[in-house]
Amino acid sequence: MKLAKLITLGTMILGIALPCYAEKIVVEGSTTVLPIAQKAAEVFMNNNAGADISVRGGGSGVGIASLIDGTCDIADSSRPIKDTELDKAVTNGRTIKATVIAMDGICVIVHPSNGVNALSKKQIKSIFTGAISNWNQVGGPDEKIVVLSRDSSSGTFEAFGALVLDGAKVRSDALMQASNQAIASTVAQTSGAIGYVGLGYVTSAVKAVDVDGVKASKETVLTNKYPVGRPLFMYTNGAPQDLAKQFIDYILSPEGQKLVEEEGFVGLK
Amino acid sequence: MKKFVTGLLLIGFIVAGAGAPASYAGEIDILLQKLVEKGVLTAGEAQQIGTETKEQVKAEIAKGTSSSLPAWVQNIKMKGDFRVRYQLDHAKPADTTGATSDRNRGRVRLRMGWDSKVNDKIMVGAGIATGTTDVTSYDAARSNNQSFGNAFAKKALVLDYAYAKYTPVSWASLMAGKMKYLPWRPTDVMIDNDITPEGAVVQLAKKLNDRVNLFLDGMAFVLSETEPSTHNAMAYATQGGLEYQITDNLSLKSALSYYDFSNVKGRALDGSEGTNTKSVGSGATGLNKYGFRIINPAVEFGIKNPFKAISNATGLSAIDIEKLSFFGEYYDNLAASDKNKGFAAGMGFGNEKVDDWGKWQMQYVYSMLAKDSVLDTLPDSDRYAGKTGIKGHKVSLQYGLGKNTWLQFAGFRFENINQIGTNRRAPTTVFQADWNMKF
Repeated sequence: MKLAKLITLGTMILGIALPCYAEKIVVEGSTTVLPIAQKAAEVFMNNNAGADISVRGGGSGVGIASLIDGTCDIADSSRPIKDTELDKAVTNGRTIKATVIAMDGICVIVHPSNGVNALSKKQIKSIFTGAISNWNQVGGPDEKIVVLSRDSSSGTFEAFGALVLDGAKVRSDALMQASNQAIASTVAQTSGAIGYVGLGYVTSAVKAVDVDGVKASKETVLTNKYPVGRPLFMYTNGAPQDLAKQFIDYILSPEGQKLVEEEGFVGLK
Repeated sequence: MKKFVTGLLLIGFIVAGAGAPASYAGEIDILLQKLVEKGVLTAGEAQQIGTETKEQVKAEIAKGTSSSLPAWVQNIKMKGDFRVRYQLDHAKPADTTGATSDRNRGRVRLRMGWDSKVNDKIMVGAGIATGTTDVTSYDAARSNNQSFGNAFAKKALVLDYAYAKYTPVSWASLMAGKMKYLPWRPTDVMIDNDITPEGAVVQLAKKLNDRVNLFLDGMAFVLSETEPSTHNAMAYATQGGLEYQITDNLSLKSALSYYDFSNVKGRALDGSEGTNTKSVGSGATGLNKYGFRIINPAVEFGIKNPFKAISNATGLSAIDIEKLSFFGEYYDNLAASDKNKGFAAGMGFGNEKVDDWGKWQMQYVYSMLAKDSVLDTLPDSDRYAGKTGIKGHKVSLQYGLGKNTWLQFAGFRFENINQIGTNRRAPTTVFQADWNMKF
């Protein structure tokens, strides 16, 4: 009887301990996807004791490189993986699997006091490449345009470059910022500034201009009417498993997609 | 959920049946749009399925497991370029009794090549081009041009290059074959850009930090093969150099090369212009008096947006050029006792790349090649027909007409260093107007 009690007690302890076994994953990459990953991780860990999800930014390129090197479990990315990265993944024995977790519109933002409310893609390209340098050339005030951009590890930069600039180089005197938040903050404080951020970073402190006559919204992004829309990815090595799968499944669930929309992005549901 | 799964199955059948090459991406998009219109899928689900399918195809192609085409076919990359040229050669005679000659030619050049990945570490490259295999002409090695004429006679295509490259680690590679490779130099004065050498090259590269890259190449090329093989004329060379990004706007590239041409003394080589000093005979069939062991330092200094501040201050946007560069190189043939040195120096400015309408670049180079400074089978064939013992100027302008197409205008004014006739150096002026396209 004593033995039975001991066995029962031991089983109970094991039964409690196993679900509480700390499983840890590292999520790294895009600063666009970062607020989604951070909020989702916070809620998920609150609801799943023992789950340890570490989330960090650095840019899409950094996240994908870490996934290929095996130093993270999920790479957040605001652009598709490049062929060169896939080749390196194959060399490293990695099988990269993409999961789309949300859609986003890259918004071109200006200071709220700027009278310009709409720009064509051609005008935006001319501004960012230096062909247009003053707001009065696009119907705005007589003020020098201060161009803000991101560095090459940014997926937002890569997507903007492909969708708007057609691969052309940003003007060399553009002010480089390290994140979407940094661009939004600088534009909010600089009357002649122009930058680009994910939809989730558009607040009342900045103004998003219409692009080719289309305003960025859930409907225009999902139906491809907004010309600067893009998917947001979580990449894994092979099909997601264990905690990584549970985390991604959570983000794709109705509750997770609601959280995506609360962060200002476009849910898939 | 049921509709989502139905849509996924429909896409799956199409993808599996079609073999899911990237070319079916358009058909998948059309189908997804229809499914959204019919209410089978939501717009979000369609975006998810379409994007993930395309990513899956990309990943499978990278692994070589896409079932639509064999991996080796998917791994082939083809490229090429085409050029049509007008060329005027205006030559003054060496003697006062001679007549000035003008030669007007239309010329064409086509080059096509492909690279194929054999496996993760080996690739093979091959290319064909317009050209000639007449080894008595310098064109055989130093030109791919074919001139209009001969009553519309067809033009020959030749094997331009065929080689394999083995890259066991990211910082080292070995190439062997007839290669599309030349050591780095800032001008083509000593070695014509159209030359595709035959032999083997080992390349080492080391990134010291974010701003400095080092490189070291060792090469062995066959110039002439004969029996016994101990008489083969060979070119052995080594080049060590660095690329230094001094600041975001200042860059420096420099290299020191050493070329040792063995078994060329006492030989007449194919493609020779006959201007190196001869011990026996003369001209292209004369036997070289000297060997060639050449020291060749070279440097290129680049400045991005050199006049940005002045342009901003004055509003003169025309002077706001993207890049200004200065370069130079020196040649010293240690195996010859006299007339054994040469040099080239110049500058370039304009846009960094001529890859769109309105983009442009200009370049000026002054060069001098003493009679025995370099082997006369190698120099740029546009400069006084590739001879040595010459000096002169080259000016060129490239102007972009759009993506992958541009015009180039070049002018060459060269003459013999030494008087060769009655108080004349037989100057030659060459003008070229090119329309270039690459694909």
